[in-house]
Amino acid sequence: MLSIKNLKASIEDGTQILKGINLEVKPGEVHAIMGPNGSGKSTLSKVIAGHPAYHVDGGSVELDGKNLLEMEINERANSGLFISTQYPTEIPGVNNVEFLKMALNSKRAFLGQPEMSDEDFKKLCEEKMNLLEMDERYRERGVNDGMSGGEKKRNEILQMAILDPKVSFLDETDSGLDIDALRIVANGINHIMSPEKAVILVTHYQRLLDYIKPTYVHVLRHGKIILSGGPELALKLEDQGYDWIEEA
Amino acid sequence: MSTATSEFIQNLPTAEQAIARLREIGMPKRNNELWSFFPVAKIPTPEFMGTDFAASSAANPAAAPAANETAAQSPAENAPAIKESDFAALLPIANNARPMIREIADGADEMAMLKCNNDFGHTVLDIGKGAKVSLEILDNKVTHDIAAERFDINVGENADVEIFFANPACDLPLRFRHFNINQAAGANVRFSSICKDTAIGRISIECHLKGEGANFDYRSLHILDGEASQHSRLTIYHEAPRTVSTQLARNLLSGSARVSYDGSVIVGYDCTGVNSSQLVNTILMSEDASVSVKPVLKIYHDDVECTHGNTVGELDAEQMFYLVSRGIPKKAAQEMLMRSFAQETFLPLPDSPAKKRLMSSL
Repeated sequence: MLSIKNLKASIEDGTQILKGINLEVKPGEVHAIMGPNGSGKSTLSKVIAGHPAYHVDGGSVELDGKNLLEMEINERANSGLFISTQYPTEIPGVNNVEFLKMALNSKRAFLGQPEMSDEDFKKLCEEKMNLLEMDERYRERGVNDGMSGGEKKRNEILQMAILDPKVSFLDETDSGLDIDALRIVANGINHIMSPEKAVILVTHYQRLLDYIKPTYVHVLRHGKIILSGGPELALKLEDQGYDWIEEA
Repeated sequence: MSTATSEFIQNLPTAEQAIARLREIGMPKRNNELWSFFPVAKIPTPEFMGTDFAASSAANPAAAPAANETAAQSPAENAPAIKESDFAALLPIANNARPMIREIADGADEMAMLKCNNDFGHTVLDIGKGAKVSLEILDNKVTHDIAAERFDINVGENADVEIFFANPACDLPLRFRHFNINQAAGANVRFSSICKDTAIGRISIECHLKGEGANFDYRSLHILDGEASQHSRLTIYHEAPRTVSTQLARNLLSGSARVSYDGSVIVGYDCTGVNSSQLVNTILMSEDASVSVKPVLKIYHDDVECTHGNTVGELDAEQMFYLVSRGIPKKAAQEMLMRSFAQETFLPLPDSPAKKRLMSSL
């Protein structure tokens, strides 16, 4: 489904952040990526999404056999990729619902589908907002505008729920969430997840993985995946940190 | 109406006075601080300036004859002198614009649309104490080379006034709008405008905050393309304690569009507790678009808070990335951000006919 091969990327000053990432994600799988700060986790999501601050030095990223790196940013999204960044951008003045509708209809246009009617969109929006126990006030607000960290993360998952991507790359979705919000967001992700889809979670803590059971856990360090394992790896990392890996 | 308001109307200049004064000050020149950024060569010399003046101005606009030379030939030589020095303010009166004088009673609640049907217009409003007034200014439908309007607005104590315009793009070659606003104690004036005009224009405002606690809120948005050249000149006089003024000017410029913002704040002696802010934000959508900003602060009292800021940039790259990373095409994302930038100008306004009109036109 998502195939990342020897992906290398650098920032403007030439510093290479990703130094050869390899990752195979199949439908129905949940992959957790853990690693110390500065290891390249957030960079990985942004490079896959096409963020202009990064330069791809080599490698490939394919989604269902199509090379994402050759696509425009919006085409990657419309092909089924969803990226949630660690710090969702605030866009005051762009209404949340109008933005969501525009995004959904852009995807439908890309896929050759007709625009969704206002009525159907309203129903869809209501359904997903109920799933995430979101307040009606979200409709009136600007995109992430003035929202707390937790509200932003919930808003990200609402977008994911509405856009219904094949692969979602969620960067520290659990940061800024209190215990109740974590449960709600995790339940939302589980609800959206299906055997045809895949999720990649970037997290520092086991607590998110208590709710969303990973198929695989990977450790990213110095721009490379240096260790992969099952869910038990996350528990060990939580207990012992990362130093033992280098020692091993 | 009070004696002060009657005086306000009585003290308006006559055509003779305006002509005499115009001859005295001469045609606008770039070395005049009121016209620093304006393409003054585009202003035709009015006939009343005199043949000698017109001939010499045409030959060398920067070398207009000394004011006293032409003033001596004026038919208005016996008119009492006036001090007004903005060419655009005097032009409508000198062209015999018939003043439309309207007095609004104390405590009245009125909505009005003002539209000038001639090349030159003059509107005089005397707004009573505690009145609540919403004024929309519509475009005049003239087709000549130059149009100029003047508005003299006297706002009584604790009155609440909104003045706004958000007209479709106008292609008049040259247009001036000048506002003289006097505010008594506790009077609130919100001046909000959207300009999409395609040619040359200038809006000038002289606002006198004469009474304690008077508040002037100015918000303008220019969305310009092509060869548009639009200029704003504001002078706000804080003449009483605890007066407040806010200026927010935003510009979205494409093509070779040009905008200037020349905003002066003058805080008088003994005007304690004054608060004034000026912020100009510009987004340049093309290489050839340009903006010039000149903030001036003249403060003659210690206990005041005055700020000014100016930003020029492009659309926010992170916001663009966020929108397109959700599948929205680049062009549509740009339009969303431009609309958002534009709407933010007026979001802080209270719900009112002005806010409704301004937001709906974006």
